[in-house]
Amino acid sequence: MSGHYGQFDIRWGMVIDLDKCTGCGACMVACQAENNVAIQTDASNKRLVTNWMLVFELSNGKSFPDHEVAYLPRPCMHCGNPSCVAVCPATVTTKDEEGGIVSQIYPRCFGCRYCMASCPYHARYFNWYDPVWPEGMEKTLSPDVSVRPRGVVEKCHFCHHRWMQAKDKARVAGEDPKALPQEAYQTACTQACPNGAITFGDLNNPEHTVHELAHSEYAFRLLERLGTEPQVYYMSRREWVRRAGDNYLADEKTGSVKNEHHS
Amino acid sequence: MGIDRRSFISFLAGGAVGTLVTPIPWKLTDDISIWTQNWSWIPKNPEGASEYVPTVSKLCPSGCPVRVRTVGGKPVGVRGNAEHPYSRGGVTPLAAAEAELLYSPARVRRPLRRTPDQAYVAISWDEALAILEEKLGAIKGYRGKLAMVSGDPDGTINEVFSAFLAKAGSADFYLMPGEAQVAAKAWNDVMGGQGAVGYDIGNSDMVLAVGADVLESWGQVVRNRKAFADKRPHGEKPKAKYVYAGPVQNNTAAGADAWVPINPGTEAAFLLGLTYQVLKEGFRVDAAPDFDEFKTFVMSNFAPQNVQRVTGVAATTLVAVAKDLLRASAPLIVTGSEFGQGGGGAAMVAGLALNLMLGGLNRKGGLQALPDMPQVVSGAKDAKGLRSADLVAYLADVDKGRTPLPEAMLFYEANAAYGLPEASKAAATLAKVPFKASFSVFFDETAAMSDLVLPVPLGMERWDDICTPYGSGEVNYQLARQVIEPVFEAVNAGDVFLALAAKLGMSLGYSSFRQVLEAKASAIGADLDALQEGKPFTAPAKVTQYALRMNPGVLAKAIKDADKGGDIALAPVFYLRTGTGSTAVPPFNLKTIRDTELLGKESFVQLNAATAGKLGLREGDRVSLSNEAGTCAARVHINEGVMTDAVAALLGFGHTAFDAYSQGKGDNVAKVMKTRFEPGTGIPVWAGAKVKIAKI
Repeated sequence: MSGHYGQFDIRWGMVIDLDKCTGCGACMVACQAENNVAIQTDASNKRLVTNWMLVFELSNGKSFPDHEVAYLPRPCMHCGNPSCVAVCPATVTTKDEEGGIVSQIYPRCFGCRYCMASCPYHARYFNWYDPVWPEGMEKTLSPDVSVRPRGVVEKCHFCHHRWMQAKDKARVAGEDPKALPQEAYQTACTQACPNGAITFGDLNNPEHTVHELAHSEYAFRLLERLGTEPQVYYMSRREWVRRAGDNYLADEKTGSVKNEHHS
Repeated sequence: MGIDRRSFISFLAGGAVGTLVTPIPWKLTDDISIWTQNWSWIPKNPEGASEYVPTVSKLCPSGCPVRVRTVGGKPVGVRGNAEHPYSRGGVTPLAAAEAELLYSPARVRRPLRRTPDQAYVAISWDEALAILEEKLGAIKGYRGKLAMVSGDPDGTINEVFSAFLAKAGSADFYLMPGEAQVAAKAWNDVMGGQGAVGYDIGNSDMVLAVGADVLESWGQVVRNRKAFADKRPHGEKPKAKYVYAGPVQNNTAAGADAWVPINPGTEAAFLLGLTYQVLKEGFRVDAAPDFDEFKTFVMSNFAPQNVQRVTGVAATTLVAVAKDLLRASAPLIVTGSEFGQGGGGAAMVAGLALNLMLGGLNRKGGLQALPDMPQVVSGAKDAKGLRSADLVAYLADVDKGRTPLPEAMLFYEANAAYGLPEASKAAATLAKVPFKASFSVFFDETAAMSDLVLPVPLGMERWDDICTPYGSGEVNYQLARQVIEPVFEAVNAGDVFLALAAKLGMSLGYSSFRQVLEAKASAIGADLDALQEGKPFTAPAKVTQYALRMNPGVLAKAIKDADKGGDIALAPVFYLRTGTGSTAVPPFNLKTIRDTELLGKESFVQLNAATAGKLGLREGDRVSLSNEAGTCAARVHINEGVMTDAVAALLGFGHTAFDAYSQGKGDNVAKVMKTRFEPGTGIPVWAGAKVKIAKI
């Protein structure tokens, strides 16, 4: 189900296998290079740093030697019911395009940051500063994504430009741009991951790996009881990791908070 | 005519309607968003056709295969190479950042000479060569007066350097310390093995990594990780078991099926404890005449309870790991240091011996003995000679006066002043050398103490190669292709040395480094065109062993190695995301550093709550780590993924050179990596160094 924002024939989504992720950070670096995310000389004040893709560290909360660790890469969830869309006064962020990618049109944004307050995943970032690259480094910017100025909000867009390019390529080759094979459109983080932890594709298309993986008994989504219906799924064979995906009460069974129906 | 109420309201209404009808307000709001967002200082995107050039990263120590994306011929990013059999599109966080480093503020942009008042002035390449010619010409032919350190662990360029030094009368050519040297000493010197050590991780169904951070920084890491991923179908039972033994729950431990915490520096005892279990099952190595002696040594010293006392590993855990190894059809033990350097010889010997016992030598998914590649520069040190030369031992000898202080030292992409153990002492020793020249991409700590700083092209700006990097399971060769002309006045150091050799009247037989690379490709029988397309050359050749030794006598001495300089064992951690000593932290990668690793200008060390409690420390406390080698400042982060009585510390902080992205951030852990010489093997060891932790 795609939520209140309409049904889409294509639903781009991700399944991130947390048993495969070892937290190296290649996805974060690949994302920044792909999307011209501004660099900062001090990136340790995390409230001021922009990370479209952020790798969280999860702990099972136990003491040594029973401690376990897992890493959780967090892009934008591209929710079926995106709370950001409802609050945006400037129609900067919408969910109205085939594919279900939650858009972010920078030139429309005037920086009210309602969307940031509404996003339960902290997937949105505000540009507190103008982007500054050391002299010459701006020559290495990617041509595909515009550079954002101070005062606007930005976030992951599933490398939307790659989708546009894939569709163009399909049209030129006389193929159907609405029936892209899985490998025709992949995000930068998916390709960069050396562990194959991230799988990307059309959740509605049975030929795409994500379709099956999202139905796995080990699949879950973050904060499912909020009803945001994310298009990003996670999976783990470890129960404590699946439990970390939501705020469970002690007596609640893992997975019991699901309120969605897979399409 | 007066204005009555009716006409006033009509005017207002007309005005309101008119405002809506005219495009002026809409144009104005549109313009406002344009005016407020399109400042002249916001960079514009480049234009031009996209191309993807396959090459390998010389920036990343794992030699990651990549494709450099160019737009209008200029690099705009680095991606993985999906067609490369090793990486299949995967890329390391360091290799992925290479394009932006083209214009890093830390780059050496032109040759620099240090003036007597310690300032650097720009000079021409001709002037730089003239200075080198004068300095090196004066000491040419005198033994012990010239030394060189290379930071490239596996390039043919080392042949050019070592042949140059040999012709100049010097045998003091060294590589920066790494795993390959320890493995070579254990395998070639202690055990009498032939060839270089390799590991076939991809075909193993039980990988026991002892120390070696195989899923983060060890060996051809993307290749290891692809092998790991292959054996882990989503949501299914893994097809190969991965066990990590080490003091810190690092990234390999995070991916492994089990983490076995062991005290830092006790890897040898842990491995011999496993050997005890394997010996009980009657396994042996027929090729080793001293095997029975070895067996007696292990059976009398490494019963589970003894091992538990030393390593902290419970007897039941030890037996379980041994059972996993025995049950597997292709078990593989990968021994190393958690941070890729300074590991002990005893652990390496014990790891290799266990592989031999499990029938792993030259078996699919086992330990491999790999032949070295033919050399193409006459007079160069052979691969074995390169691996056995020990920089740390050399500098210790220089420091103690056992070896004369060289009059000149050359550095190639080697940040010795920052990255060597006991960093402050090492830097002080290097400072005494009267003339130093650093060939470097970045203005690093070593460049900052050199008399001459010479710019080297970044990996994608030069032709270079990688010859069977340490860790790979077969002989392989890859070409690093020049993607663009150097953006600054950098010149390939291979060409500089060939020119310098000619000036000094000692020809090395080539006029350009490209020719050396072509000769190499031809000598190994590789197709140059295929190499240029980014395809690796591989050869199945293995070295058969005739006379191996288990050398229990040496092991018995080496196993006693332990640092007694403090209560807490230092467990350094090396992530590729925080860069290497010669790259520092690339700007993109700063964001991958957590605020529990670096906050503002302070770096963190990690202790578990039990250790912190013992020391009276809490989250965020400021502490100093100290021992005889030096002192390192940090803040405390409580992490239950660290062994009790151990302190985990990230490498890569505390740079005093480079740029605003790295300089002055945190402290350098290498300062407290106290070195000791392992009894029996004589190998300098700095893993498992002890420190005292005090609140400040």
